[in-house]
Amino acid sequence: MDRAVYIAMTGAKNNMLSQTSHSNNLANARTYGFKADWAQARAIPVWGEFHPSRAYALTERPASDFNDGALIETGNELDTAIAGDGYFAILDAEGQEAYSRRGDFSVTPLGELINGVGQPVVGQGGPIVLPPYEKVEIGNDGIISIRPAGAGPNQMVAVDALKIVNPDLQNFEKGTDGLMRPVQGPAILPADPLLSVVSGFVEGSNVNSVAELTNLLSLNRQYETQIKMMKTADDISRSSERILQLS
Amino acid sequence: MHKALWVGKTGLEAQDIALATISNNLANASTTGYKKERAVFEDLIYQVQRQPGAQSSQNTQLPSGLQLGTGVRTVGTQKQFVQGDLNMTEQPLDMAINGRGFFQILMPDGNISYTRDGTFHIDSEGNLVTANGYLLEPNIQVPEQTKTITVGTDGIVTAVSAGETDPVELGNIDVVDFVNPAGLQAIGNNLFLETAASGAPAAGVPSLDGFGSIIQGALENSNVTIVEEMVDMISTQRAYEMNSKVVSTADQMLGFITSNL
Repeated sequence: MDRAVYIAMTGAKNNMLSQTSHSNNLANARTYGFKADWAQARAIPVWGEFHPSRAYALTERPASDFNDGALIETGNELDTAIAGDGYFAILDAEGQEAYSRRGDFSVTPLGELINGVGQPVVGQGGPIVLPPYEKVEIGNDGIISIRPAGAGPNQMVAVDALKIVNPDLQNFEKGTDGLMRPVQGPAILPADPLLSVVSGFVEGSNVNSVAELTNLLSLNRQYETQIKMMKTADDISRSSERILQLS
Repeated sequence: MHKALWVGKTGLEAQDIALATISNNLANASTTGYKKERAVFEDLIYQVQRQPGAQSSQNTQLPSGLQLGTGVRTVGTQKQFVQGDLNMTEQPLDMAINGRGFFQILMPDGNISYTRDGTFHIDSEGNLVTANGYLLEPNIQVPEQTKTITVGTDGIVTAVSAGETDPVELGNIDVVDFVNPAGLQAIGNNLFLETAASGAPAAGVPSLDGFGSIIQGALENSNVTIVEEMVDMISTQRAYEMNSKVVSTADQMLGFITSNL
């Protein structure tokens, strides 16, 4: 059979992979701090002892979309969104520092500050632990000040500050747990004091649902074209078979 | 099969839970002491289909790999303990806590539960009870022939009987607080139970040491904001529709290949 059928097959297969990536974005259209993944196709020519007449399709994820998601007002004193550039430092499942824009923070019974999925939030010197407080405020510069239980309104104490880093986005990648880490160089980034946060807001997902859905539909049609190609290749080999038949 | 089918399914499930939370919030938009809930989502793990930097030929490398996400997961629902508005009712047994704290309620099984709902009544024996008839803890007994009851901001309950002028102290209403109120378990009837996530209750005198003060003649309204819930509902519905579109598109593709080849 003609090799065209295999080229059409890789096209169809990679369209499906790309669609999975878009559907993952759509599934996370309402996940706080989620960053959409790009999917692109690349032509890979087949090199061999002949001239490269064929090119296979290859879907890949070049990067994630680092644009900001919408800020959603919650009025919750611990909810924090980053205004502009920057990432919160948190600890991943292995206790290593990783980065995320997710800002739906809460406090455990021991006073540790964690995000919505339970990852500890890192401050100036390791995970943030808040003493018992009556009121907590997160300032624009990420400084956490509390009014200790029983203290007067004039006794706000700064206890820690959120570690906010400003990574080089060219060198920043989403891992398999959905957290961001630098690709090369030191794994732990320094805090950047110039970045600012707003409290009482969380950052929503940055998924552009219209674009995702449109891509999904256009991939669907592309896929159907590939199937048609496979069918055509099949038809061609069928007719050549007929020519060779001795009637 | 097409992976997008399962990814779309996780999206549908998550939006389903989100809608259930929103509808419960809306249904309780005028429940005294109700605290709104929000569904918390997390992206599921990513699968590496092709490692970045893999060899595309003997001398060339792929600049980027392919990592496919597997969808979304609901981590849980989180109660939002933002203060609700105070509604002045002028009823002497209506109480609201202005600030942090919970009333303690003695359950029929002997356990203590916690509430922000301060709609109290007097039962046939003169005890202060909730709308469900559960006793306030510590118990406050109101004598017969009581003319007026006064609850101070620090929780001291005094009563003046008919024909008397001197008030008599009936007892104290204590409040308790939790490090992480969002970790409390809601059991319905506006009541909460202590959990490992909420921490142990710390009892105290209202209006002292960081505890909220008790306001007599007021009730705390639900902290649900209708507009916010409606906007949430719209975005949930659209997200649901788009995820169902993913499922139907994936289905169409599989259908197309079976009918055309």
